[in-house]
Amino acid sequence: MILAVLFANSEGNILVERFNGVPAEERLHWRSFLVKLGAENLKGVKNEELLVASHKSVYIVYTVLGDVSVYVVGKDEYDELALAEVIFVITSAVKDVCGKLPTERLFLDKYGRICLTLDEIIWTGYLENTDKDRIRRLVRLKPPTEF
Amino acid sequence: MAQPLVKKDDDRDDEADYSPFMGIEKGAVLQEARVFNDPQLDPRRCSQVITKLLYLLNQGETFTKVEATEVFFAVTKLFQSKDIGLRRMVYVMIKELSPSADEVIIVTSSLMKDMTSKTDMYRANAIRVLCRITDGTLLTQIERYLKQAIVDKNPVVASAALVSGIHLLQTNPEIVKRWSNEVQEAVQSRAALVQFHALALLHQIRQNDRLAVNKLVSSLTKGSVRSPLAQCLLIRYTSQVIRESANTQAGDRPFYDFLEGCLRHKAEMVIFEAARAITELNGVTSRELTPAITVLQLFLSSSKPVLRFAAVRTLNKVAMTHPMAVTNCNIDMESLISDQNRSIATLAITTLLKTGNESSVDRLMKQITNFMSDIADEFKIVVVDAIRSLCLKFPLKHRSLMNFLSNILREEGGFEYKKAIVDSIVILIRDIPEAKESGLLHLCEFIEDCEFTYLSTQILHFLGIEGPKTSDPNKYIRYIYNRVHLENATVRAAAVSTLAKFGAMVDTLKPRIFVLLRRCLFDNDDEVRDRATLYLNTLGGDGTVVQTGDDVKEFLFGSLDIPLVNLENSLKNYEPSEESFDINSVPREVKTQPLAEKKAPGKKPTGLGAPPAGPPSTVDAYDKLLSSIPEFANFGKLFKSSAPVELTEAETEYAVNVVKHIFDGHVVFQYNCTNTIPEQLLENVIVIVDASEAEEFSEVASKPLRSLPYDSPGQTFVAFEKPEGIPAVGKFSNMLRFIVKEVDPSTGEAEDDGVEDEYQLEELEVVAADYMLKVGVSNFRNAWESMDADCERVDEYGLGPRESLAEAVNAVIDLLGMQPCEGTEVVPNNSRSHTCLLSGVYIGNVKVLVRLQFGLDGPKDVAMKLAVRSEDEAVSDAIHEIVASG
Repeated sequence: MILAVLFANSEGNILVERFNGVPAEERLHWRSFLVKLGAENLKGVKNEELLVASHKSVYIVYTVLGDVSVYVVGKDEYDELALAEVIFVITSAVKDVCGKLPTERLFLDKYGRICLTLDEIIWTGYLENTDKDRIRRLVRLKPPTEF
Repeated sequence: MAQPLVKKDDDRDDEADYSPFMGIEKGAVLQEARVFNDPQLDPRRCSQVITKLLYLLNQGETFTKVEATEVFFAVTKLFQSKDIGLRRMVYVMIKELSPSADEVIIVTSSLMKDMTSKTDMYRANAIRVLCRITDGTLLTQIERYLKQAIVDKNPVVASAALVSGIHLLQTNPEIVKRWSNEVQEAVQSRAALVQFHALALLHQIRQNDRLAVNKLVSSLTKGSVRSPLAQCLLIRYTSQVIRESANTQAGDRPFYDFLEGCLRHKAEMVIFEAARAITELNGVTSRELTPAITVLQLFLSSSKPVLRFAAVRTLNKVAMTHPMAVTNCNIDMESLISDQNRSIATLAITTLLKTGNESSVDRLMKQITNFMSDIADEFKIVVVDAIRSLCLKFPLKHRSLMNFLSNILREEGGFEYKKAIVDSIVILIRDIPEAKESGLLHLCEFIEDCEFTYLSTQILHFLGIEGPKTSDPNKYIRYIYNRVHLENATVRAAAVSTLAKFGAMVDTLKPRIFVLLRRCLFDNDDEVRDRATLYLNTLGGDGTVVQTGDDVKEFLFGSLDIPLVNLENSLKNYEPSEESFDINSVPREVKTQPLAEKKAPGKKPTGLGAPPAGPPSTVDAYDKLLSSIPEFANFGKLFKSSAPVELTEAETEYAVNVVKHIFDGHVVFQYNCTNTIPEQLLENVIVIVDASEAEEFSEVASKPLRSLPYDSPGQTFVAFEKPEGIPAVGKFSNMLRFIVKEVDPSTGEAEDDGVEDEYQLEELEVVAADYMLKVGVSNFRNAWESMDADCERVDEYGLGPRESLAEAVNAVIDLLGMQPCEGTEVVPNNSRSHTCLLSGVYIGNVKVLVRLQFGLDGPKDVAMKLAVRSEDEAVSDAIHEIVASG
């Protein structure tokens, strides 16, 4: 299960947070944990270079994309490698939506489309689509090209 | 990380600073949502409002029930619009709002229409929305469409239905299970993602049917699975099948070839999954392990952090069971110590500490020193624990490891971290005699500048025990006395006690200690003054330097052999009167937790939490108790007291447990009874013991309990004679007999007349292990070789089919009741053979050592070779007899 996807700006403010199967009372804890993790480790990290951590039986893969940092949290079959795949899909789709590495402003400008993109990538905790071109079409309600 | 927002030039000033959501406020957005009700819908405007609503929800904002309902009804109006972009937003919004069952009905028909639409994308999205908001009844209505969708030609529609199926399986399993055939067909799909989703769903549907999973794995491992994600799932399911299959004969492992083949897959994800699956195989052999370790070693130097992390995490696990298999990777692992990703570096270090040999310790420590300064406390604690284990493994390296610990003790750190270091030093001092003096000095230096009162007092207590036994106790006094000047009252009081201990134990130091203690009489804290006064008076601080008597030492520093909680209760109940408080009136039995024996046998000391002289020796406490009872006074020295054995179920009217006290020619049963009924008072409580199944025992005495009020435990005893020095065994049945009197709850007074009653207790057994004391030896090999080989007896036994090797090892340890040595009671996972070393003292004070070699013979059968050495060959034979008859 992919437990969480979180986007934050460079100051650690949340831009998007989506939890699956995480009780409401634990969400705040996760949010501050992830933001702290980013603040401690993301300084000087190159765009899209992945960082990884584990907390008990849960894995976290995170990175920087322009002005925003992206975190995905998973457990069981979504271990560090599967999450690396998930975050790769997310970052390439977000870049695709923004047309380049997002600034915070650009990210917010494209907010609606980014929400739709995430909706295509993750379906309440499961990876659904992985190809950015297909995702771009699905967001516009167009069938995939290979079909 | 990227630059924060900065002004670049005037033209872009406004644009850069302006956030489309600046000052966004829930109430205002909900107002804006009224545009959804406009007869002339503006799709662009509506999409903007939905985006704002999504932004609010994604920030963790919640809508009240009324607000959510209002937005939901408004959103449903948007189905009228033909705008595609808006429709896509509507789908997301409905999912986010997750309306209640009575509201769903409004939108069902629109969604049903979309689900049967000719536009594929409408179908896919409508399925996802419907499945998110549906309940069982609606699901049966749309089931037909969902089954069709699973085998739809459009992969997006099929995936939507399959992933929906994964979710619906949790809530409506019986419906989803009916889709097996369609899902099975989808597993064969040419579309990679459809195959992945179908495989996940099919496995979930069949996960409780071992045969079906086996069939699924068999067919798919032969065919080609397109998506790497699906291949990873298949590897996981394959490992599950291997785990569950009973056939574990070497070289014959089913599906191993498939796993090994996956190591050559082009996707790294698949390679890793296969490598991990191999390392986790039950009883994996080195031949099987080698190819997996080779690919993991390659991953260690990958440019991708995720791969490095995955590899080092897996190798870290392998190092616990097969350290030798991982040593080849040590060089790659060492370069990871400087990895920017701290999780990777910590895993690398702890793995190296597990696999390193004695010669590499110094080099490793140098590398770790640089690393420690820039990691968080939680990682540091992991490293400290690993270093402690390493030091116990290579005691000769104690100097450099102890120095490392003392250096990090001086650096910044929180309480938990400092406590972990102090605990480690204490354990090393205890287990490695050569490390004692330097360790104590490190602790002394630490308390000179320690901000944690708890740690200071614990260290002072420990110094009081160990310091006087060193060659030069003099040198610790300065550190201790400094505390009296510089610290808070709690630490000062602890320091006074420690000084007094030195005074009591080391006669040459006594005059100078008295001078120091006298200075403490003017302390501004009363506890410090009181302690100083007490010690000066009892140790003879009136100027005469005499040897401190054992009784005084026992009084001042001896263990308190009554439970503190009982003492506290008795003191609370004591009413000041002419009669002074009598400590002997305090009950010695704890109510629910039995005395210290509750601690797991063989459990490692946990540092300061359990100082060696801290908990009272229970045998001493029992010895005192029994010798104070005239009937048992002539039984001689108490050999062993067992842990309490419960004779009643939990939460019954009367709670009774029994402790078996073994003497050379007698056995005494101590029944600890508790009356849990407030309205009853029990009198003349005695246990009637039927020893007809214990022929060698004959009852010689019993001591009834005069009165057993509510919730105040008491004891009654029954003593048996048995042949001297013989480990007689037998079964005893027990009946509690008493006179019960009603108690008036309002006054607490009992009635004068009572009724005799009985209460059946469980049976009790005296077994061979009761005649064995758990006494460990520090170096088993030396002890074994110093014992006469003529008194060795060796034989082999078949233990029959067993649940696991570990279970068989524990059963034999329990049967013999001996102390496992050198951690050999722990059986590594997947082992097919194991050696366990035991030590003990048999009745008659005969030392016994046992070497047990276990091996798996076939899938479950355990065979055992038992070698016994003791000071008396008859005892060696007796041990074999115990095993043969056990």
